[in-house]
Amino acid sequence: MKLSLNWIKEYVEIPPDLELSRISYDLTMSTVEVEGAVDLSQSLNNIVIGIIKEVLPHPNADKLVICNVDIGDGEIKQIVCGGSNCKNGLKVAVAKPGAMLRWHGEGELVEIGIAAVRGEDSYGMICASTEIGLADLFPLEDEEEIIDLSDFDAAAGTALAIALGIDDTILEIDNKSLTNRPDLWGHYGIARELSAIYDLPLKDYVPYTPPQCEDLNITIADIERCPRYVGVRIEGLEVKPSPFHIRSRIWSVGMRPINAIVDITNYVMLATGQPLHAFDSDRLHGNITVRRAKENESFLLLTGKELSLCSEDLVIADDVESIGLAGVMGGVKDSVLADTSKVILEIANFEPISIRRTANRYETRTEAATRNEKGIDPERCDIALAFAMDMFKELYPQMRVSGYSDIYPKPLMQSEIDVSLDWLYRNLGKRIENEEINHKLGLLGFGVSFDGDLMHILSPTWRSTGDITIANDILEEVARMHGLDNFEPTLITTSFEGSINQLDVDIERKIKEYLAFRCGMNEIFTYPWIHDDYLRAIFPEDTNDTLTLAAPPSPQEQHIRASLLPNLCKAVADNLRYYDEFSLFETAMVYWNKNFTKPYDPTESLPYQRRNAVGAIVGDPENIGTLYRTAKGIIEALPRYTHCEALSFAATKKPIWAEDTLWQNILSDGETIGSLGLLSKKASLDCGIKRSAVMLFEFDLDSLIPFASRTNKFTALPEYPMTDYDVSLVFNSNIPWSEIHKTALDTVTDDNNVEKLLQNVSFVDEYRGQQVPVGKKSITLRMLIGSMEKTLTSAEIESCANTVIRRLTNTLGAELRG
Amino acid sequence: MREKLDQILKDGEEMVAKAISALELQEVKTYLLGKAAEITIILKEIPSLEASMRAEIGRVANSIKNRFTQLIDTRQEEISLKASEIPADFDLTVPGILPAGGALHPITQMCYDLNDTFRSMGFEIFHETEITSELYAFDNLNFPPDHPARESMDTYWLAGYEDLRGADRLCLRPHLTGGSVRYMQTHKPPYRFVYPGRVYRNESTDARHERAFFQYEALIVDKDFTFSAGKIMIQSILSKVFGRDVPVRMRVGFFPFVEPGFEIDMSCLVCNGKGCSVCKQVGWIEIMPGGTPHPNVLRAAGLDPNEYTGFYVNIGLDRLVMMRYEISDVRYFNSGDLRFLSQFK
Repeated sequence: MKLSLNWIKEYVEIPPDLELSRISYDLTMSTVEVEGAVDLSQSLNNIVIGIIKEVLPHPNADKLVICNVDIGDGEIKQIVCGGSNCKNGLKVAVAKPGAMLRWHGEGELVEIGIAAVRGEDSYGMICASTEIGLADLFPLEDEEEIIDLSDFDAAAGTALAIALGIDDTILEIDNKSLTNRPDLWGHYGIARELSAIYDLPLKDYVPYTPPQCEDLNITIADIERCPRYVGVRIEGLEVKPSPFHIRSRIWSVGMRPINAIVDITNYVMLATGQPLHAFDSDRLHGNITVRRAKENESFLLLTGKELSLCSEDLVIADDVESIGLAGVMGGVKDSVLADTSKVILEIANFEPISIRRTANRYETRTEAATRNEKGIDPERCDIALAFAMDMFKELYPQMRVSGYSDIYPKPLMQSEIDVSLDWLYRNLGKRIENEEINHKLGLLGFGVSFDGDLMHILSPTWRSTGDITIANDILEEVARMHGLDNFEPTLITTSFEGSINQLDVDIERKIKEYLAFRCGMNEIFTYPWIHDDYLRAIFPEDTNDTLTLAAPPSPQEQHIRASLLPNLCKAVADNLRYYDEFSLFETAMVYWNKNFTKPYDPTESLPYQRRNAVGAIVGDPENIGTLYRTAKGIIEALPRYTHCEALSFAATKKPIWAEDTLWQNILSDGETIGSLGLLSKKASLDCGIKRSAVMLFEFDLDSLIPFASRTNKFTALPEYPMTDYDVSLVFNSNIPWSEIHKTALDTVTDDNNVEKLLQNVSFVDEYRGQQVPVGKKSITLRMLIGSMEKTLTSAEIESCANTVIRRLTNTLGAELRG
Repeated sequence: MREKLDQILKDGEEMVAKAISALELQEVKTYLLGKAAEITIILKEIPSLEASMRAEIGRVANSIKNRFTQLIDTRQEEISLKASEIPADFDLTVPGILPAGGALHPITQMCYDLNDTFRSMGFEIFHETEITSELYAFDNLNFPPDHPARESMDTYWLAGYEDLRGADRLCLRPHLTGGSVRYMQTHKPPYRFVYPGRVYRNESTDARHERAFFQYEALIVDKDFTFSAGKIMIQSILSKVFGRDVPVRMRVGFFPFVEPGFEIDMSCLVCNGKGCSVCKQVGWIEIMPGGTPHPNVLRAAGLDPNEYTGFYVNIGLDRLVMMRYEISDVRYFNSGDLRFLSQFK
């Protein structure tokens, strides 16, 4: 919202030494956020009043003339001009060298200099209204017209902004900061705040007293929706432009002047925050009724937009049809037209929520709707009426009020609140004297009385429509009027319970840090909604277990995640445009349309939601073995690094997205909590992944069993040397490592000697290819051999190793590789 | 003879000094002390010398032999200490081999920075599920029944539940405050906790607006807690985030679940409060809403508002991270784009 500082000053006398920056700061701290301030005269710098003294033909151009112009201080300058209304004695706007303007009202601002125009020197130029941004104030009647300022009482050389009375500062207020303050949507309301902040008197107004006249027959059919309706029939009007000072006021805060009657309604709205409307009384059929619209009732808005209304809409109607969409916009038929001489002025109060809904329903967000939907107090009609009637009298001295009616059956209840002073002081952290509270709140319109510890507050009507309802609201009023900068910060006390053992919080952080710092993976965030393309790629079968959004971001993104894999695969596909080898992970919540529980309120049933962790390791399909072992290693080592119960692997249930022969389930405490595997060729292609191998894992993070502390015990270091003994053996390719490993370790159960000497058996590598026969693979394994009691001889080491090799040969058919 | 010995000593010393490898030194040793070495031959021939010279020559020749042995030993040690023979033009400017990459999301990093700060102040960290109901998202928080945020233009209601009311109407959480009530319902006051999490709003996205963004809520509920104490808390947090003291101001603001409510601004770090394009020339940047929990919120949590009060702030992490790194577009955060994410370690 834009506010004119000059306009505010009509209601509260701001001392001249109070700087703009101070006003902006104080308003921002105590009332509403001032986002900026624009000095209107800035854009009119170096533009002054000039008086044309002589008009001579231009020797080289038919359409141009040479003017000798008095630009003040006795200076007469030659200016070339193309204005169609250029004539001797005309008072004009002269852009002196240095002024900024727009050629023909279009394009960028350019700086004016001294230049020759078709061979004749021109000291700046004589302006058209479009060239200096004043088209709304001086509408062009023909394209070549320059501004005629003959009506303005200003000497040659006077700065244009001062001559026009628009040497004003416009404050830009953040509308979000006044949604809860319906009283501030006009200059008078802001003036009231400033009067309270600076202890200045606020200009009062004299309520309007209608003359003896006919009662207008107005019916309110829905009193909930329209608590008050004031109608005034005014005769003896004509449609004419309003005086310049009214036009410029309206223009300065961003509205367009129309004609005197409409300008009065807009002016009063901008002054008081109360929207008004004028109907052409001669075009009305019979009486006014405020009622609900009929279903599918058609209505033509003032803007020419045709609406089909519904019974939720409130309309102003005459005996034949609707004439206005209540509180939002008038209709085209009964608005003020060129021949209007009689109007019915409407000043009415409407229920805010239905106004908002109607305005939204028809995408008709007008200045009136913006104010009406905030919840204006019905008493605001009084000040708006008083202001409006004063203006009608001023602009139309011959006007006559021939009908009047004020329907207000159920006056607004002012909010009354009792506040304990002890409670107030405790919350403020300091004591503020009764006198200060009384004085400051009084300036804001509150009635304050004290009775011991209790302070009784009577809220003004303009704060009683939902804004002020409880003691905390009064706390805020007292605090902001005392000045929020005037409270010394107090120290916070601490207590350390609760923050010490938070295993469920810590485990997630440990996992994230493990995956990022230990495993070199990059964390990503994805949306909770999944595009159908990726959902179908990873989970081709329909399932009722997925929840959907009623109004999704796009029609293809209605499903929300029961798995983090689809969006992870999307991120993989996206990153493959720039990288060949990388790894990503995410931890986030997944949601299932099942297992509803009531963890808090007995009436609230929430779906199954768990934190999941998901990862992708992307690389060359030639290296699938390494990719698999990398992914598996990440899961294998995770419990040790993140301090939770160990994980194991088994092939129980194939994940639908995995390649048939390359997947494992992840188990914790015997329960399957996730899977690991290679994204199938089909799923890869469906995700747009053509040439890369994507190893994935996903597990339920909430199923991990975190340890309260680090649990492993120290193992004594061996006193005697341990020896690594590597051996390569050829096996049938279908014998898994797990069996080879187990068989090798089992040797100890057979042989007492080996039991004492074989400390460990580990995998070194696997080879398949030309060096071994088809259907075979070579496994290199490493035995750790040593004794706790002595240093072994090489014969003892050999003997131990040979026992293990023999067992592998006998049991699994292994052959020593040459 | 003496001259010859002197010459042998001088030549030998030079040869030992010139040997730069173990191999060369071995050759020098053989030459100086071997069977065919001059000094060996001289020593052998001593018995054949005149008796008067024997003692003198013998003493000098032996001392030369000892001197060579000693020099060679010393040189031997010098050479062995130069473990490898590093070329003089070894290129020291080649880049280092970096440790395996990998990083937390910049928002996670900020979240953990804040967690550490708050924990050091005795705050507990809370987390909650993301699907909630209208009861917790709006009703408990003093949102009027017709508040625009309740409409599907603002909140992601779940299909099949969107036309229900209260506890039956489910949505992706539009903010964290509803979850804070859950915490309060299940814990005993006084409270000091933070609640980081992602929230979801149905709105159109652009460089400054996201549908999914990260909030960080901090709540204190206690007896006799004044709102001005909140200012200290905010200053502590910002000094952690930005590594220096940042001036903070609290001004009036309106949010349904706090009363009084504040907009909390910090001094613009780009211009140090002087006014620039980043702060729209005002010198301050709005960073979070805050305030005293509304009595209705405390009541929803089962507390007596006459007894308890408190302070609440809600920090938009996306915005804070954008300020930390001068990131121009909020949508990068959810892009999963490694070109972006790998910049934050």
